Amino acid sequence: MSAAQVLTFAVAKRFGSNEALRGVDLALQGGLITLLGPNGSGKTTLLRCLATVTRPDSGSILIDGLDPLHESDRIEIRRRVGYQPQDPAMAPSAKVFDVLDYLAVLKGQDDDRARRHLVYHVLDQVGLVDRVGDRVSELSGGMRQRLGVAQAILGSPGLLLLDEPAAGLDPDERFRLREIVAERRHNATVIVSTHLTDEAAIGDTVLVLFDGRLQFVGSPQSLTDSATGRAWIQDGEPVGVRASWRLADGRYRCLGVPPRNADIVAPTLEDGYLLLTPSVVSA
Amino acid sequence: MTTFDQQWPIDQARIDRNWRAVTIELDAPRPGRIERFLRAVGLPARITRLMVATPALRRSWYLATGFAVLIGLIGNDATRPRENLLALLIVAPLVPVLGVSMAYGVASDPAHEMAVATPMRGLRLILTRAAVVLGFSTFWLALAAVLSPGNQPMAFAWLLPAFGLTSATVAAMTFVRPRLAAATVGGVWLVGVLLVRAAADDPLAAFTAGGQLLFAVVAAAGLVVATLRRNSFELLELRG
Repeated sequence: MSAAQVLTFAVAKRFGSNEALRGVDLALQGGLITLLGPNGSGKTTLLRCLATVTRPDSGSILIDGLDPLHESDRIEIRRRVGYQPQDPAMAPSAKVFDVLDYLAVLKGQDDDRARRHLVYHVLDQVGLVDRVGDRVSELSGGMRQRLGVAQAILGSPGLLLLDEPAAGLDPDERFRLREIVAERRHNATVIVSTHLTDEAAIGDTVLVLFDGRLQFVGSPQSLTDSATGRAWIQDGEPVGVRASWRLADGRYRCLGVPPRNADIVAPTLEDGYLLLTPSVVSA
Repeated sequence: MTTFDQQWPIDQARIDRNWRAVTIELDAPRPGRIERFLRAVGLPARITRLMVATPALRRSWYLATGFAVLIGLIGNDATRPRENLLALLIVAPLVPVLGVSMAYGVASDPAHEMAVATPMRGLRLILTRAAVVLGFSTFWLALAAVLSPGNQPMAFAWLLPAFGLTSATVAAMTFVRPRLAAATVGGVWLVGVLLVRAAADDPLAAFTAGGQLLFAVVAAAGLVVATLRRNSFELLELRG
């Protein structure tokens, strides 16, 4: 399946008094897109809208030109989308094979033998083929996340949506997960949400979502560059800066409008991200 | 003179492919007892997967099947008074209602969010599970009726109400959560049947031809409502 085209126009969604999305416009096709934002910024809601499991209150979504508001289009979109929710919960007593086999049935894989082979194929891709007969409760957190990714890539979808797949994983597992995800970027549009800037750095494109609004769309390098000349280090406690935090040597790294003669330093992607969000000052 | 390799060149990729296929066939975990039983009676593997995917789904199946056997054994005993039969006829239709309410939603299927995102229509999933539960309940009931000495046709009188209530529950699930839908339909059923019992001379008045016709209509109406509102099963925020 080829990389899906994703278009959204002024997508808005409200839950009671909370405006989760406030007019999101997107045009994406192919590559790895990281969706960066703090908790509660609307990342999960946006991914759920794209996965067609949540309906926007207003605005529209088109995936490969198909509109999820139309029933037949929605079914066709779901054939092209692989979705891993933030909490890919599975029955603890179920076996790894059975979980994937069940979801493969739901994805329309009716032939028993072909389905069996498909399940083994995706388990092989995520490095879990040796755990095929294990129960979900016997897997580590990282393995469960990989199982979540495995079900999402069943059928090689053209649009892969992964909601914080690296949350809570140790560095080894995060690296392994990155490899799996990165492999898909060549033949699918892969959108991965995260609240970690180092995870966002692996994307071809970074989307920064804050308070339901898209604050930035561009490459990780351009997000980093946006902080050029706005990051500095100083000795005394900063006042009136956009963001600051204390370094190991007792000095402060600051973001914002630098004072005269400030010790300007090379910006990082995190600097660029923090400059987009409301002020953060920490010791 | 040609060598063996030249005459029959080895296709290593094909050998690897075939070897892998054999390995998968031998290595794939064997289905559980219930699933093997369901396959043995002729259900295709893709349907049995939908039936036993999670413990909660299996419990709904056990419950409905077990209760159907009980009804069949006790309800067909002609030596028991009609009031006993009435109690069984009142309770029996509630079993598939409970089964269906346990067969859908995040409360019974932890993978619900992933399941909703698949092309399988929610209504089709619910009706498939409901059909298998009802089908097996009916089978066991019929078997017990045939085998029991005091064959009493009235013991089958729960069937149409069961279809009606199950259908009404599925329809109600397009408005409220599954467990609330089951509780509401079950409550209306109990109040209704007890009111009829109080007003009529015959303890089984609710289960005569008129009552049966009413439940056939309810079953059809429920299916129409559920079909018209089927999109409710396709979204996370509405049902769970």
